[in-house]
Amino acid sequence: MPDVTLRGISKSFGTVEILHDINLEVKDGEFCVFVGPSGCGKTTLLRIIAGLESVGAGELSIGGRRVNELAPAERRIAMVFQSYALYPHMTVYRNIAFGLKFSGGRKAEVDAKVRRTAEILHLTPLLNRKPRDLSGGQRQRVAIGRAIVREPSVFLFDEPLSNLDAALRVNTRIEIAKLHRQLAATMIYVTHDQVEAMTLASKIVVLNHGRVEQAGAPLELYHRPRNLFVAGFIGSPKMNLIKGRVVASDAEGARIALADGRETRLRKIEAALAPGQEVTLGIRPEHMAAGTGGPVALEGSVDAVERLGEASYVYMHLTDGTNITLRSPGDSKVEPGSALTVSAASGAVHLFDADGLALAHIVIPA
Amino acid sequence: MGGDVSLAEQTASERRRPWSHILVFLAPAALIYTVFSIYPLLDTIRYALYTQDEHGIAHFAGLANFIDLFSLPVWADQFRNALLNNLIFFVIHVTVQNIIGIALAAMLSLPKLFGRNIYRTLIFLPTMLSVVIIGFVWQLILSPLWGVSEGFLRAIGLPQLFAPWLGQESTALVTISLISVWQFVGIPMMLIYAALLNIPEDLVDAATVDGANHLHVFFYVKLPLILPTIGLVAILTFVGNFNAFDLIYAVKGTLAGPNFASDIMGTFFYRTFFGYQLQLGNPTMGAAVATMMFLIILVGVMIYLFGVQRRMQRYAL
Amino acid sequence: MTRPIARPRLGRIAVHGALLFYTLVAIGPILLILVNAFKSRRAIFNEPLALPTAKTFSLIGFDKVLAKSDFGLYFLNSLTVTIGSVALVLAAGSMAAWALTEYRFRGNALLGLYMAIGVMVPIRLGSVSILQLMVDLNLVNTLTALILVYTAQGLPLAIILLAEFIQQIPRDLRDAARCDGIGEYHIFWSVILPLLRPAVATVAVFTIVPIWNDLWFPLILAPGNGKQTITLGVQQFIGQYVIDWNAVIASLSLAIAPILVLYILFSRQLVRGLTAGAVK
Repeated sequence: MPDVTLRGISKSFGTVEILHDINLEVKDGEFCVFVGPSGCGKTTLLRIIAGLESVGAGELSIGGRRVNELAPAERRIAMVFQSYALYPHMTVYRNIAFGLKFSGGRKAEVDAKVRRTAEILHLTPLLNRKPRDLSGGQRQRVAIGRAIVREPSVFLFDEPLSNLDAALRVNTRIEIAKLHRQLAATMIYVTHDQVEAMTLASKIVVLNHGRVEQAGAPLELYHRPRNLFVAGFIGSPKMNLIKGRVVASDAEGARIALADGRETRLRKIEAALAPGQEVTLGIRPEHMAAGTGGPVALEGSVDAVERLGEASYVYMHLTDGTNITLRSPGDSKVEPGSALTVSAASGAVHLFDADGLALAHIVIPA
Repeated sequence: MGGDVSLAEQTASERRRPWSHILVFLAPAALIYTVFSIYPLLDTIRYALYTQDEHGIAHFAGLANFIDLFSLPVWADQFRNALLNNLIFFVIHVTVQNIIGIALAAMLSLPKLFGRNIYRTLIFLPTMLSVVIIGFVWQLILSPLWGVSEGFLRAIGLPQLFAPWLGQESTALVTISLISVWQFVGIPMMLIYAALLNIPEDLVDAATVDGANHLHVFFYVKLPLILPTIGLVAILTFVGNFNAFDLIYAVKGTLAGPNFASDIMGTFFYRTFFGYQLQLGNPTMGAAVATMMFLIILVGVMIYLFGVQRRMQRYAL
Repeated sequence: MTRPIARPRLGRIAVHGALLFYTLVAIGPILLILVNAFKSRRAIFNEPLALPTAKTFSLIGFDKVLAKSDFGLYFLNSLTVTIGSVALVLAAGSMAAWALTEYRFRGNALLGLYMAIGVMVPIRLGSVSILQLMVDLNLVNTLTALILVYTAQGLPLAIILLAEFIQQIPRDLRDAARCDGIGEYHIFWSVILPLLRPAVATVAVFTIVPIWNDLWFPLILAPGNGKQTITLGVQQFIGQYVIDWNAVIASLSLAIAPILVLYILFSRQLVRGLTAGAVK
């Protein structure tokens, strides 16, 4: 039975519509990540679930109950804020205990719960300190502790890693994943970082301009993006997009003319294509290789080469100006200014129609 | 920077250059401030150690003025009276003014409050006006002759409450204190409002998620975080009160009647220095009174700086 | 923005009620005076709360005030003193604030503390000596005396506010100018001063109000004929004509008007200044 259900949720601030008709289900124990560019409405959506913003239109249920009119404290949720929002004038102990203050409970009970939570997060030696004496990572743990101690049915995270430096971010990411397994709780997590989304989520919801572009398991979004937006958002560097037009299509495959005049042949396309149809081909940088070994051969000239040791990124542009990025393992021998031909060598070639919707994902055997 | 000048010469000339600049920049302010603010204060304290004879010549008298101030009935009674009144004046301000100010600030800082700016602007208006004006306005309103306040009380069903409050010994001081509170409530309101605005929204959100309602949020989260500002307001009120003069002089004149009932340190100081019908002006005694006022204020400020402010640190938000 | 779901309406109504009530308390008395300034004597007494109608409208109070007292002169005096003091405070204050913030020199912190004392210790306490000083300088009963004293009074707070503001000017701007070989005075004049403009409004308001409304120093230093400020003038006038209600109310209104206008024009700067510089 799904833990959080959103049906037809819409929200406007004044005349600006932030969210349009959001329909989602988060199952019990799932780690669901809302991801999208700034302004896409993901934080607003989270705050609506928390009860910090009112529902504009639609139904929100948590644990099977309709909660539209319930105050945050009555929804059995807990939230970890981006800035941690620790009460600066209270010790770590009191910060964590604050959440239990308004739900009754005897002092001994509260004390036991607070100490237990502190144990889980290795905060016991810090219980008497004030937030200003803590490091960023420690503060974050206190924020998480404050959420855990209330034993909510749903945890809400609002970009909790964005204030940490890169190294700490990776460590904390692992800690949060461990916590999820340990508590087996439902977690809804908001971030703009698609790497966090891909690594933490059991389900990703990609939002754009207040609409759900696609929701599903991380790898599903990676391998089968439903539209151009998701294709470009998931995966870094971004997927290469090449415009083309269908020349001919039959049961075997299709011939597609590319902008530079060349043609490419694709086999086993699940969708029906009409001749003259405008399409966009998408190939991820890591699925391209130098040479003409696969379909969609592209000729261009190299602008720059970045060698990172574990891989190299080759930036080139085609004759019609389209920019292409290629990722090759190890050190690339290619030099800037030289001519280069690349083609799809593994993964898939994604086909999108003129409106940006995915038509087919043609798997390329490596 | 220089071209061919060697590094060593460059640094030396840099060090040499700003010197005169600093002096020039600082001189005007330092000069005016020292001559007209600091020197007179120090000189007053020095002068308090002298007495003037009939010919106006000053003789060194040590602490004689202070001893007289505390022991001679002609001075001591008035001094004690003024000091006590000033204390009452201060207590009324700290309680009534600051509580109303906090309440107003708390209400004004509520999210999405319609008309917030208008309320704020209008409530702050009396603070902008001259104390003299305020004093007279209220004198007129409270005057039995005009009858506005009597009529008002009758309208709300409390006619028996009316009395010539300003004219009665028992109520004059309190009435004037309340007028002063009415005028200056805007300042604690603004300062505390600013402090409340500085509290991040996140903290309020977190407390709400934790189960706190508006009142809880105020008392458990907001109030502790604005305590430093409340401390600041208290000390500013203290200094201002022990310096107050204009209102009482405007409403009651030099004698701060009725029968010195509204006399505070400021008016006592003025009267001592300039004299009135029954008493010649006594500059050295005036200086002594001023010195006492200075010491009282100094003690208050010290208590604030070392006692209060250290305790109520600002929290890194 | 937080808006907890449960029951917001009732609370809000109570809040607005309280605020409305207090706003009325705050401006009621002032409105009362302004309204009655334009009424005949009888109307003031019989219907104090009524607005002036065609029948009761009268400017007799104003006529008397303008005839029997030198309101124009008092106003000019106040203006002179205020503008003079503010100009000096801004000039000397910005230079000092600049020197204290920008340059490292021995005693910088001490000097800053020295200047800041003035905020906590009222200048009035030294009046005995100030008067003596003015007598010695032959400045009794002059507006100059007032200007000097008010400048000294306003400098500490102005320097604190301006220093705060200068600290927010990016270092790079100042250093870039120095790299270009511009002299220190020139940097102050052409780079720093223009950037101080937003702060000027705030400092001006903080300085103007106490000066305009002050009674103490005009009373002590310049009470003589022709040198009164408007506050002193009103106080003396009312003292003289205390039973002439028209005149009294009219004179109060005349004294209120300039500040009212100033306030309406600059309330935003004032609030910004109070809310920004206050939390220190």
